[in-house]
Amino acid sequence: MTDPFEHLIRSTLTDLAEEAPIVHDQLSRAERRVRNRRRATVTMGAVGTLAVVLIAAPFALAGTGSDQPRPAAPSPTSPSVRPTLPAPTPSGPDVVPTPPGPDVVPTPARPTVAPSPPGVPGTASPTPVPGPPGGPGVPGPPGVPALASPTVVPSPPGPPGVPSRAS
Amino acid sequence: MDEDERARLAEFVASRTPALMRVAYLLTGDRNAAEDLFQSALARTIPKWGTIRHADPEGYLRVVMYREQISWWRRLRRWRETPLNPADEPVGADPSGGSDVRLAMRAALRHLPPAQRTVVVLRYYEDLPEARVAELLGCSVGTVRSRTHRAVSRLRELLPEVEMLEVRR
Repeated sequence: MTDPFEHLIRSTLTDLAEEAPIVHDQLSRAERRVRNRRRATVTMGAVGTLAVVLIAAPFALAGTGSDQPRPAAPSPTSPSVRPTLPAPTPSGPDVVPTPPGPDVVPTPARPTVAPSPPGVPGTASPTPVPGPPGGPGVPGPPGVPALASPTVVPSPPGPPGVPSRAS
Repeated sequence: MDEDERARLAEFVASRTPALMRVAYLLTGDRNAAEDLFQSALARTIPKWGTIRHADPEGYLRVVMYREQISWWRRLRRWRETPLNPADEPVGADPSGGSDVRLAMRAALRHLPPAQRTVVVLRYYEDLPEARVAELLGCSVGTVRSRTHRAVSRLRELLPEVEMLEVRR
């Protein structure tokens, strides 16, 4: 369909096209524009990469530093140093250092097995081996409650002391 | 790009610049904008010259120009610029009826949106069928039809007295 109005559009466009500017040396300008565009692309890429690195670096450092223990935290590698409650050692009336004498008999009046402190398995043998005559009890290793000490009665010289048994 | 290819590119640009500038001027309606559009399309074509020089470099350049004209980014950049060059404005009404109509039509064409103006140029200046226009612009045939219909309707609204002038002539 070619009505007069469309014909008018065609003729107007043809007339307008004749008024187009005459330009020269478009190739060198276009090449300059290509170089500028390439330079801008490279610059923007570098700036973007730098921005990503600058933003991500603190997060990366924070992520890697979180695995290390804090300075004030207790070291989990030494459980034996864990503070234990003092064992209720029958120190006072039970362990009576008796002077050595033949008539002194160890009195197993009280349970000689020290109750296990909370958190420490009661693996200690309830019957400590009596030490050598006259020798004091050997203290336990650090961190282990000294279970043997209350029950060790200094054995008098002569007949060995009878080890006390748990009741 | 070696010297041989650059010489062919220079020859192509020198031979096809006038025709392409006419199309660019029709698409933009402004001398400076037409030159900018042509240079922009040429700058996009130069990096591809090695692959398109044996095919249809002019067709490639035209398609770049058409799509660049209706590009959203280009429209945004153009919005910040001075819209019209005073030298391109119609100076005044011509006493003869025909020139008056053509000047009014030229001003009305300038008021069309870029997409509608591009469709008008391709349909009525390049005489391309709707399917070819749709292929060049990367849209559907229905879009081309609707844009053409809207463009012509808009021109009729802007020039209500044109049909009377045409009848009088």
